Amino acid sequence: MSGRSKLLKVVLLGDGGVGKSSLMNRFVSNKFDAQSYHTIGVEFLNKEVTVNGENFTMQIWDTAGQERFKSLRTPFYRGADICMLTFAVNDRKSFENLPMWKREFLYYADIQEGAPFPFIIVGNKCDVPNREIGEEVAQSWCSRNGSAPYFETSAKDATNVELAFISAVSRMREMEDQLDLKPVQTNSVDLSKKQKPLNSGCCS
Amino acid sequence: MDARRKYNISFDVLDLKSFKRSAPNHGWAYIIFILKDGTTYPALHFHNGGSKALLKELENFIHIRRSPNDPRLFLVKDHDPEQLSQSINELSLFTDSSGAYVQKFIKSPYTTTLGGFSKVTNFLRDVLMTPEDHHNLVRPQAEVAEILQDDIPGMEISQLDEPGFEMITKTKLPPRPTVKREDPLSSQQWNSFFDNEGHINRVEELKDIIFRGGVDPSIRSEVWKFLLGFYDWDSCSRKRQEQRKRKVDEYFRMKLQWKTISAEQERRFTLLKERRGLIDKDVMRTDRTHKFFAGDKNPNLQVLYDILMTYCMYNFDLGYVQGMSDILSPILVVMENEVDAFWCFAGAMERVCHNFEMDQNGMKVQLSQIHKLMQVQDPELCAYLEAHDSGNFYFCFRWILIVFKREFHFHEIQRLWEVIWTDRPCTNFHLIISLAILESEKSTLLENRFGFTEILKHINDISLSIPLEETLRKAEGIFLQLRDFKKLPNSIKEILGLLPSSDLPASQSMENSMFMGSSLTSSSSSSHQEAGSKVDTPTLMAGGGASASRGLSHSGSGGDLTKAGGAACSTNVARSVGVSARYGGGARQANGSGGGNGGAAGGMDDTHKVFT
Repeated sequence: MSGRSKLLKVVLLGDGGVGKSSLMNRFVSNKFDAQSYHTIGVEFLNKEVTVNGENFTMQIWDTAGQERFKSLRTPFYRGADICMLTFAVNDRKSFENLPMWKREFLYYADIQEGAPFPFIIVGNKCDVPNREIGEEVAQSWCSRNGSAPYFETSAKDATNVELAFISAVSRMREMEDQLDLKPVQTNSVDLSKKQKPLNSGCCS
Repeated sequence: MDARRKYNISFDVLDLKSFKRSAPNHGWAYIIFILKDGTTYPALHFHNGGSKALLKELENFIHIRRSPNDPRLFLVKDHDPEQLSQSINELSLFTDSSGAYVQKFIKSPYTTTLGGFSKVTNFLRDVLMTPEDHHNLVRPQAEVAEILQDDIPGMEISQLDEPGFEMITKTKLPPRPTVKREDPLSSQQWNSFFDNEGHINRVEELKDIIFRGGVDPSIRSEVWKFLLGFYDWDSCSRKRQEQRKRKVDEYFRMKLQWKTISAEQERRFTLLKERRGLIDKDVMRTDRTHKFFAGDKNPNLQVLYDILMTYCMYNFDLGYVQGMSDILSPILVVMENEVDAFWCFAGAMERVCHNFEMDQNGMKVQLSQIHKLMQVQDPELCAYLEAHDSGNFYFCFRWILIVFKREFHFHEIQRLWEVIWTDRPCTNFHLIISLAILESEKSTLLENRFGFTEILKHINDISLSIPLEETLRKAEGIFLQLRDFKKLPNSIKEILGLLPSSDLPASQSMENSMFMGSSLTSSSSSSHQEAGSKVDTPTLMAGGGASASRGLSHSGSGGDLTKAGGAACSTNVARSVGVSARYGGGARQANGSGGGNGGAAGGMDDTHKVFT
């Protein structure tokens, strides 16, 4: 390891009981407890990771999923670098709520509408037999939502958990790089480029 | 929480920020390690000695100094990697016997911790060989130091109450009296309170005993039925039989209501279906390590489920909210009976239902009340928290929502709740308990210069390691200090229910008068003149919602108690009004001696050479 590690704030969101805390505990301590408590309030854990040679400290925030606690949950969204939207593949409702969670996050994390943000979609409990959401359904939702990467995980048997978290970091770095590649917005005008018609109210 | 985590302590020694040692009068030594990010490990016990040796060895790698404010707290000075590697070279630690070296000073703590310690050994080696810079995770020290210098000595409070009306400068509370806790109410004592017809005599005296020591587990299920309104305090045996019969009928009537909804029907009844789903999930993860709920297909899980579903029918507007299963679980364990547990749960919910209301206003009000109380009680800590984005006291959210349920062990939470349910010594005593816990953590928070995230993490992590009786003594001491503080602002009196009756709406004064004739038991009359004059000091409101109308300093939403508490809470008013009025009469063992933080004197006498 070399160099200092960058702090990454990761927010885990999703309905109550989809396994947010279990995913976090599996990733950070490689443990699973089917009988652990449901989260009250907010908790977070840190985990040091190295992704493509870079060191990061992932600070993973885990919140209570019930709608009721929205006002005490949302202040923690600010400053997030990554958002993991989570549902359980055996719980249709939790999948249908993904757009709600995404909206809530974007609003309270104060991210500009339409601005690229690294979302990762996680379908947890892929070990259970009675699925309600097929992989293709989930994939298609993701492709319609900024082509967010989709992972089917099982916190219980450790399937893909680490992969999902690490990929989230790669995703974030990719998006950062893309932003860096884009020409920095300045006051100068690129004459070689075809100007898009501007919808300004006065002269259209 | 996670049993395995408890016994597996491993960390990077460079992440160590501070540690707390056991009090010298504690039977055996233990050490609580606290990391830079606020992570606080459960106590590591040394039943057969060895703690000093371990710390002495640690001192070779890190510079440790003792906190000037808390003799049990030790702070690790920030590391200088250069110096560190040099000292390692000098020690030539990493020869082939390095493992044994570290093992040597562990001697034999809990065997279960040995595995954990071998990891520390590894960490020591890995980390010391490649020192790493973790400073970017910590707040810049300069920033914090500035705050500390600015705000501490005799700070001014000006926005505490209505601006312009009460300006407080230099709050100085009276010295903290020593408070004694007593034995729990015994079965024999309990029986002696009943007359031939089963009336309870001297109810207030009885509640005093419960407040001061709790209840013996053998009579808990009976006593709780009174504390939680299942039986009326003034009922006789015959009336109680009738009451019980009625409640049994009513319970099963409500239970049938949801039991008879067919799957077909439920498909068109989304709200009920959603609640069923939530309850289903939460029942499976409530106190499953307790033997009463342990194991798959434990029939008690079904009872837990049925009671929560029936409660949805009892209070459909509120429904099921996460946290309710935590409130129910200890009650069910005590009652061991579905109907009794249901009604006692309903009684307990009446006290805290405003915590669960949709707008969360009850929670916001209470968090801001902790803030207001701390502004008076400990302006220094308060200023520190404010300066570290923690003035909203979000980190106390779990404490308040489920009344410390996850912070104490199961038997302790039963004790704590029965004390709180006596409504003594004041309204909102649970908020003072929060102050007491935070006071115990003050040195850790301040001297480690914890920021927002570290504070939150540390407070989450001290769960299950808070000493209950000590906390209760401290909390009562704080209450007495506040009560006897001559310049206590009205807004604070209102929170604690200390406003004189003339300031109350007429209807409530009427209710108070019902309780005023009750006999005073204590003769240990205090030296505080004021205390005597407060015999009939009534409380303003019940259930933690008092003074809500003043609004919130942080959330910005107007705190409207009627909205927050809801009609379901109204019966609380009478209950808590009477009792705390009585307490003002001086039924306490206070002796006015100052200090109050006994046992603090060190077991180690040399501050420079810490581990000798």
